[in-house]
Amino acid sequence: MIRFDHVSFGYGEGSTVHDLCFSLEKGGITALIGANGAGKSTVSKLMRGLLHPTSGTVYFHDQDMATLQASTLAARMGFLFQNPDRQICRSTVRDELLFSLQWTVPDASLHEAACQEVMDALSLSAQDDPMMLSRGERQRVALATALVHKPELLILDEPTTGLDYRECTRIMEYVSRLEKQGTRVVMVCHDMEVVLDYADEILVLSGGHLLGQGSTEEVFQDPSLLRAASLLPPQMIGLAARLGLSGIRTVEEMTEAIGKRKAGVQ
Amino acid sequence: MKSLLVYIPGDTVIHRLNPCTKILLPLLLCIACFLTDAWWFLLGVLVLDIGIGFLAGIPGHTLKLLRGLGKLALFLLVMQVLFIQSGRVLATLPLGILITDHGLQVAVMGVLRLIDITLPLALMIAVTQMSDLANALVYHAHMPYKYAFAITSAIRFIPVFTGDMQMIMEAQTARGVAFDTKSFWKKLRLMIPLCVPLLISSVKKIESAAIAVELRGFSLRTRRSAYRRTSFDGRDLTAILAGLVLIALSVVF
Repeated sequence: MIRFDHVSFGYGEGSTVHDLCFSLEKGGITALIGANGAGKSTVSKLMRGLLHPTSGTVYFHDQDMATLQASTLAARMGFLFQNPDRQICRSTVRDELLFSLQWTVPDASLHEAACQEVMDALSLSAQDDPMMLSRGERQRVALATALVHKPELLILDEPTTGLDYRECTRIMEYVSRLEKQGTRVVMVCHDMEVVLDYADEILVLSGGHLLGQGSTEEVFQDPSLLRAASLLPPQMIGLAARLGLSGIRTVEEMTEAIGKRKAGVQ
Repeated sequence: MKSLLVYIPGDTVIHRLNPCTKILLPLLLCIACFLTDAWWFLLGVLVLDIGIGFLAGIPGHTLKLLRGLGKLALFLLVMQVLFIQSGRVLATLPLGILITDHGLQVAVMGVLRLIDITLPLALMIAVTQMSDLANALVYHAHMPYKYAFAITSAIRFIPVFTGDMQMIMEAQTARGVAFDTKSFWKKLRLMIPLCVPLLISSVKKIESAAIAVELRGFSLRTRRSAYRRTSFDGRDLTAILAGLVLIALSVVF
């Protein structure tokens, strides 16, 4: 679906990302992880076509992204920014969603139903003023403006930063449901617990280089790879590694494994 | 534009001028440009502006600024030529639009003035540290620190807001708003999705900055001191005299 072919990019002199080569197939949630300044957001913007590589090519369904106009891709690729306030420009949630649709769906008779569907799914109220909502609710409005197009690829740039546990879970559960319905999800994330809970695949970036790509288990059980990217594994994985246990992701699994070990000792 | 409004360190004669002189000089150039009616004088001031940029050791930056201003100037030139219909007709365009000698003259003078007065201001930002400017305004111009701080903060925020604007355009493009269109007229229609988020983020930033300085006791101290003191010497006097001579010449021509 998405292919990076020797992609490099720099904002001024020098490169921010260097010679990236990877591909993402259909289905699943991929997390881009790395320390601050690793190039995660830049990679996500290159993927969406908001930035163009200084060398190399980004392909979307084998089409060179440089030949496509980024705004016309909104119906196929959704993008959620970390700061929802950069998108909000209308006085009600409904108008905000209609504003998104008017650029991509010429048939106005389809707009109302599409808006209602996504508002129901994300528990948003049509007449609310987006700027008066809480940070988490504004994040949901911004997510709704991307999802109202029903994109096949959804890119999330730190979707849970600044959200409380309840809002974070609410957004990620919805994203997870979308993925099960066939939407390909790529997310930039600093929270390794969220990555462990929701991602199927991980790309590890450091200093603009791709250090590794693998399943969530593979990456989190490779301490040298995580160390090279200045990252720590989720607490449960770290604890399991110290106890010599494997395949543990949750507190329940850990309790069960410890219980079994204790029973074995006795 | 973000990188065009930043301080570029250096140790040239222009960098070493007193910050007050660096503000006064563009002001004197501005007065001279508005007093003259001679196009060749305005052209001379443009050459002088570019010379100042080269003297400040930032030729690349000066040419970049000139290129950016040139785009705006071209737009204004076309607008004025199309809208000023008085004078001798030089050509007739479709829909009965006339191109006149008066229109051309006013347009050329207008854009030259625009570049002549904007370029030195942008160069001043490039060669002056804002903290030095605030200190110089307080010690040499006897401006209350509160106002000096407000002026320098406003200048310092320009690149921040430019960066914000870029981010907003990216965010709106991602949702389908055609900011990446090549058409200037289409872009002009997209002001609301750009201005509303920019206004909100600007107000939020200013409010946060105001709270932050108050928390540091900004309004409590009545006397100010500065680690770096700027001097006012012969170089500054020469520069100001040159500016005054330019004004005198502009009155003559």
